[in-house]
Amino acid sequence: MSVEPFNRLVKLTARAFYDDITTKGDNQPKTGRSDNRGIAVVVLDALTRRQWVREEDLAKDLKLHSKQLRRTLRFFEEEKLVTRDHRKETAKGAKIYSAAVAATTEGPPFGKEGEEKIKLHTHSYCCLDYAQIYDVVRYRIHRMKKKLKDELESKNTVQEYICPNCGRRYNALDALRLVSLEDEYFHCENCNGELVAESDKLAAQEAGDGDDNARRRRREKLKDMLQKMEVQLKPLMEQLNRVKDLSAPEFGSLQAWEARASAAGRAVNGDSSSNDPSKSSQGYGGTPMPFLGDTKVEVAFAGAEGKEVDVKSETGNASLKVLPPWMIKQGMNLTKEQRGEVKQESKMDGSSAAAPSGFSDDKKSNVEDDKKSLQDEYVKAYYAALLKKQQELEEAAKQQESSNTAVSDGLSGMSNRQVGMKSKREDDEGDDDVDWEEAPVAGNTSESFKVNDLNVEAAASPEDEDDIDWEEG
Amino acid sequence: MFFHIVLERNMQLHPRHFGRNLREHLISKLMKDVEGTCSGRHGFVVAITGVESIGKGLIRDGTGFVTFPVKYQCVVFRPFKGEILEAVVTMVNKMGFFAEAGPVQIFVSNHLIPDDMEFQSGDMPNYTTSDGSVKIQKDSEVRLKIIGTRVDATEIFCIGTIKDDFLGVINDPTTI
Ligand SMILES: [Zn+2]
Repeated sequence: MSVEPFNRLVKLTARAFYDDITTKGDNQPKTGRSDNRGIAVVVLDALTRRQWVREEDLAKDLKLHSKQLRRTLRFFEEEKLVTRDHRKETAKGAKIYSAAVAATTEGPPFGKEGEEKIKLHTHSYCCLDYAQIYDVVRYRIHRMKKKLKDELESKNTVQEYICPNCGRRYNALDALRLVSLEDEYFHCENCNGELVAESDKLAAQEAGDGDDNARRRRREKLKDMLQKMEVQLKPLMEQLNRVKDLSAPEFGSLQAWEARASAAGRAVNGDSSSNDPSKSSQGYGGTPMPFLGDTKVEVAFAGAEGKEVDVKSETGNASLKVLPPWMIKQGMNLTKEQRGEVKQESKMDGSSAAAPSGFSDDKKSNVEDDKKSLQDEYVKAYYAALLKKQQELEEAAKQQESSNTAVSDGLSGMSNRQVGMKSKREDDEGDDDVDWEEAPVAGNTSESFKVNDLNVEAAASPEDEDDIDWEEG
Repeated sequence: MFFHIVLERNMQLHPRHFGRNLREHLISKLMKDVEGTCSGRHGFVVAITGVESIGKGLIRDGTGFVTFPVKYQCVVFRPFKGEILEAVVTMVNKMGFFAEAGPVQIFVSNHLIPDDMEFQSGDMPNYTTSDGSVKIQKDSEVRLKIIGTRVDATEIFCIGTIKDDFLGVINDPTTI
């Protein structure tokens, strides 16, 4: 059971469909501070590095307010990406879970249990539902395509008819009144002229040109949208294909998973209840969730040179060890750019020189090319953003270092959502060395990925399930 | 789609029916009046399945007729956009074809008939594929999808498509 292809699927999905999602009540003012776009991606990414996770712990790890996280998770539950489980538990129950976590993920130390022991609380857990995600994403893409295609082929449109004599217009709903007993055509109620279907040439000429133009423009737009969708969702669709014949990772229900995980943990590690904090700081090799983060990433954001190098090598190693080729590339890319803060100009030249080939024909089916252009663009965008934002960021960094708890809020508070910013924010997660995986995000945004358009479709789809009418829209 | 619902109606009854069989008269009149009618709101009333209650009658001034408020259960048929129906073709012409699904009339215009089907005029006008394997003519049974409805107070008319997966002829009258 390989999780990695599915994790990549989740990551691509997150960036394609949930990059722009905000999860907040409508009553809240839409100030820059409460703008939490991008959180969805961060949360999904974090979940790919975990199995079942207690939501409080996740919130702590991501330095998010638990309410905010819960809102996001509830949204994903509705989107059928995440399964959740809630249960009342005592400290003992929490311990079972913690032990299970320690056994499977060797995650951040759970030494703090002492604090959470006393009360009987309802705890919520969440976990990605990979099998369902696969279906949901396929269904979503299918609906998007179908909707566009149907409209393009005017499949579900009501045919209009026009009388060439008097210009009166009818549509198919009038058909019953228009049939004639003498011949096989429709006849005008007014002058008994033979009606022509509106798409026919004559009708097109007689009918107002403006209307026709509007229709043509609409068609162009649809075609364009369909094409863009093909291109931009290509990585996602290829990943879907890759995953097609693999069996999805199945963690089972929370209870089953716990039982399984702690049993396995005991077998491997001896007594799993001895939560040795040192365990969590060693490498992740051989654990099912290899990317479970190292908290060191925070420092990359702080901009302290020495530490940065440290992180860099860490991520490099980690990705070289376990990542598929496409990820290694991105990892290296980022390493390069982190290293190159001083001499970024030359770096930039180098990458942009390489760019055109992958760039001009990014429609090539070759994923590598795609990736490459994404990366190149990311690098460029990154530097641009970096130059622009460096001052601000450093200031923000200082502030954040002093008050480390409010990190994510502070960042999202900054109104401008530059690429650089975003990567910073993700670094912020703290426990995740996610640098390598930011390339796709940045690529998307800088390439003016049409997420907006897609989201329009996307927003419609949940309702669609209840509403028969939707596809005629 | 079919629904089983409760409707209410004020029934006027001629005084000559007042007697032992008043109730029976009332119900048979109700059936005669209501079954087969169409209201834009509820659709076609297919059948009355029961009478819930008959209220107090009110004598109308001048005529002697009495009005009873009657609550009755009935099955109604209401077509919806997006619904898949099976229908019998009633007429084929150059503009498309008409079909009936029970009381509902549906028109399928020629641009919503698959492109590989061509209109053939003659005694028995029809739409046929180039290899002749599929033919739509009068009395053919087709499965179609409703893409538009016109709902008037007393009439429902639909337009449909057979240009989609799993739609089209489901039996050919010439092969029976
Ligand atoms: Zn006319």
